Amino acid sequence: MAEIWELSVEEVARRVRSGDLSAAEVTEAALARTARVEPLIAAYLEIYADAARLRAAEIDRRLAAGEDPGLLAGVPVALKDNLSLAGSPLTCASKILSGYVAPYTATAVERVLDAGAVILGRANMDEFAMGSSCEGSAYQVTRNPWDLGMVPGGSSGGPAAAVAAGSVPLAFGSDTGGSIRQPAALCGVVGIKPTWGRVSRYGLVAFASSTDQVGPLARSVRDAALALSVIAGPDANDATCSERPAEDYLARVEEGIGGLRVGFIREIDVAGFDAASARDWRAAIDHLARAGAEIVEVSVPSLEAAIAVYYVIATCEASANLARFDGVRYGRRAAADNLADLYVDSRSEGFGAEVKRRIMLGTFALSSGYYEAYYGRARSVLGRMRRELDTAFVQADVVVTPTAPGAAFGIGEKVDDPLAMYLSDIFTTPASLVGLPAVAVPTGADDRGLPLSLQIMGRPFAEATVLRAAWALERVVAWRCAPSFRGARGAEAG
Amino acid sequence: MALTPEEVRKIASLARLRFTPEQESVFVHQLGRIVDYIDQLQSFAGEESGADAAAPVREAADVARPCLPRDLFLANAPAAARGEFLVVPEVKGGGEDG
Repeated sequence: MAEIWELSVEEVARRVRSGDLSAAEVTEAALARTARVEPLIAAYLEIYADAARLRAAEIDRRLAAGEDPGLLAGVPVALKDNLSLAGSPLTCASKILSGYVAPYTATAVERVLDAGAVILGRANMDEFAMGSSCEGSAYQVTRNPWDLGMVPGGSSGGPAAAVAAGSVPLAFGSDTGGSIRQPAALCGVVGIKPTWGRVSRYGLVAFASSTDQVGPLARSVRDAALALSVIAGPDANDATCSERPAEDYLARVEEGIGGLRVGFIREIDVAGFDAASARDWRAAIDHLARAGAEIVEVSVPSLEAAIAVYYVIATCEASANLARFDGVRYGRRAAADNLADLYVDSRSEGFGAEVKRRIMLGTFALSSGYYEAYYGRARSVLGRMRRELDTAFVQADVVVTPTAPGAAFGIGEKVDDPLAMYLSDIFTTPASLVGLPAVAVPTGADDRGLPLSLQIMGRPFAEATVLRAAWALERVVAWRCAPSFRGARGAEAG
Repeated sequence: MALTPEEVRKIASLARLRFTPEQESVFVHQLGRIVDYIDQLQSFAGEESGADAAAPVREAADVARPCLPRDLFLANAPAAARGEFLVVPEVKGGGEDG
């Protein structure tokens, strides 16, 4: 029989709602599992053990009184440290926000709480969500549960590692250029980046506002679909959030993909892949074909410019968004005897290297004399990418790519080479730039046992279609998220 | 294009950042490589696009709504006075353009 910490989100909620299991039992199981794996992976910046127990007791009281706590009743959840929870610290894994306490709760988090979830803690990330390895955190390096010498991916590395290691069955992160999908891929879990505007960004600390989205990470497509149903939908506090009502993404997820047109991008060159990734990529397409999909070839020549476009547009937006961190209204303040030095010293002491690099790049690209050559040019190539993807989605219902160019890389391997790190995002940035929904689904492992993943992109607001394809693939692959904690001293934690 | 140390200092000043000489030389090298990479955009044919995003942005209703209470806002401030004001050091002087 499965341990409580191994249960799916659906199973936990079902059993808690039926009275078969108490929220307190689920919370204790999650805390015990977390106590076992956290020393190995360092996924959390803070674990809310006491608050989680109080919250579980409240859920159990409500159940005893005949109330239904909701779709996530008693489900332990981890939050990336850029999602606001009123009264709790929020640092974005940055020194500049040390001491900051969120004065209000993000809409997505409010909905998760309204559905009866128990927040277990805030999870580590690359500082201000800028990074692909979680090594950019100002506080700690999170390790990949499959191999402790490897990165968990980023920037939502803490949430992905926590879910993969069995600490929680569900976590929420943010994705600006791949920050949910790439760590989901590297940790062997499912991650959804919704359509831009599908989920409210209210209470999410902004990085690049034109692509930021909140989304779930879970161990199965069904669990991720359920979680998305909870957080999606209009929000009066976010004018960029669509007025389209939320959907029940679970309702039709198992309908199958007979006749669904799956596009693979002609320009993806497997010659640049390692042997296992190339094999896995071909196998994933074969699996979809065997599940009934019609495989069609589509062309997106601008894919090769995606990283360049993304690192101009996202850094320009970041340089503007992060101007607010100046030591005056919140966060860390440097000792200075005049205002100009206060700004410069607070920012120079408070931000880490990658954040400074991106602010510098964005400031450069927006500066007089360079604006048209960089920002203007990037917008124009983005226009072309949008048109090419529009055409691809006439020929295909979903478009697939590998989620990442390979499996998890070693801790420290790319940390001194920012450009090599940026190239990890080659396949995830187009859906971000164009605002499309995309899901990362585990497809197998490489020769070292490290997870590999397929990205399935859809038309705007076609999350249901994307998830249907993801479920069909998951069923054929029969992936089991059971990491081995390779490199742990003594017996494995699994 | 390569960036010169002077250009990096100019960008840092615009970004309200300051670097030690060692950090500056690292940035000159790293930013130069990144800018070289994004320069590929110059040879890539672009085009104007229509809608800006998947979801059209609507304007918020022009209606007054409650905002963050002052005490909650000031609770995060590094320095505040009388429960009403943010406190900052002298505004004059300092900085390169101060």
